[in-house]
Amino acid sequence: MPELFSPIDYAIPAFVILVILEMIWARRKAPEKYEPRDTLTSLALGTGSTVAGALTGALVFSLAMWLYQHRLFDIGWAWWAFILCFIADDFAYYWAHRAGHRVRWFWASHVNHHSSQHYNLSTALRQSWTGFFALGFIFRIPLALIGFHPGMLLFVGAINLIYQFWIHTEAIGKLPRWFEYVMNTPSHHRVHHATNPRYLDMNYAGTFIIWDRMFGTFTEEVEGEKIRYGIVKQLGTFNLLWSVFHEWVGIVRDIWSAPWRHKFSYLWRPPGWSHDGSRDTSDTIRTRWLERQQQPAE
Amino acid sequence: MTIELLKLAGSVIAILFLAWLARHWQLGGDVRIGNEEQARAIADEIICGFDPVDIAIDKAGIGALMRDASGRHLLVRRHGAMWAGRLLDNHSETRLDQNFLTVGTGEKTFGAITLNLGERAQIWAAGLRHLRV
Repeated sequence: MPELFSPIDYAIPAFVILVILEMIWARRKAPEKYEPRDTLTSLALGTGSTVAGALTGALVFSLAMWLYQHRLFDIGWAWWAFILCFIADDFAYYWAHRAGHRVRWFWASHVNHHSSQHYNLSTALRQSWTGFFALGFIFRIPLALIGFHPGMLLFVGAINLIYQFWIHTEAIGKLPRWFEYVMNTPSHHRVHHATNPRYLDMNYAGTFIIWDRMFGTFTEEVEGEKIRYGIVKQLGTFNLLWSVFHEWVGIVRDIWSAPWRHKFSYLWRPPGWSHDGSRDTSDTIRTRWLERQQQPAE
Repeated sequence: MTIELLKLAGSVIAILFLAWLARHWQLGGDVRIGNEEQARAIADEIICGFDPVDIAIDKAGIGALMRDASGRHLLVRRHGAMWAGRLLDNHSETRLDQNFLTVGTGEKTFGAITLNLGERAQIWAAGLRHLRV
């Protein structure tokens, strides 16, 4: 195994500088794009996520190494293997991310990344503490069984994470058409973070937006429509621990109070689902919104 | 291990610096609800399709109470530079002190808010006490 550097270690100083540059932009153009307490919560979530990753990463890596020992192909370390691995990992990321929005168990962890009502570079660092517990890695780890070395998976996964940093901004508009067609961009990812009914649960891509185009989850940003960021039921607090655990607490409460035959549904059905239909999922919100759009104006 | 701890310490210093910088540059601003049109827009952002028939905005614009045709009551309050809200039910806490109405949602983290609604505070207090759901 070749000695690979840690891309994240080199990227962190750049992250800090870019956040400062974006703050300068916000100060001049739109001070409301940043909020000190929101920024602090986002960055604390990011730091906590790094600690959680350090504590659990070895376990995931060991599991990946075990799978790699039973690999189907000897792919090795050629340059093209890195490219292939990056594409395959991004494809797996798409499905992990899609499940992260459509299955409440995975959402309970991923919601941390979406709970800010702001969309700026600090939001990119707002990451989950409970990713290991939620077992989100099960989507990407099978690549080791195919024959990609876990060290290579770790490396390309870090590159993917770094790519996704710069797209968390409102300072960049639309980019050249060819780029917008293939790559995930600030415009596409703004849609993903939006709670506007037309945008809910769309654009799951990590690096390549083509996955969304292929699997029917792509939506273009509509010029002139104000985007609202965050989650359907905004937290209304900057409390760090509540930001981390609120959805897990919600799951426990729902399972506790639900009739026996519905308990399990609160784990695997979409966020917002309830057995008595008293709450809204993104599908019901979008359906209601579409109905309103089709009604003639009074 | 030492290097990892140094990295963690560096991260903590960096996040505190960035948060301080955001505060020092007064990012965030001072958002207020200025009129009913804005209140309606905020209500629709919080609950898609919520169409208020009655609106009471706090005198300082830091929050509002709204009621739709089906009798649902929505509490809106400032959250940083944004707005957050909750539908109220008969478990919501209500306290009236002349023109000031304190409304709590029962959610500890969301908290309670005291709104200066002027003479209308009494009417809204009565409405909230009679919520059926």
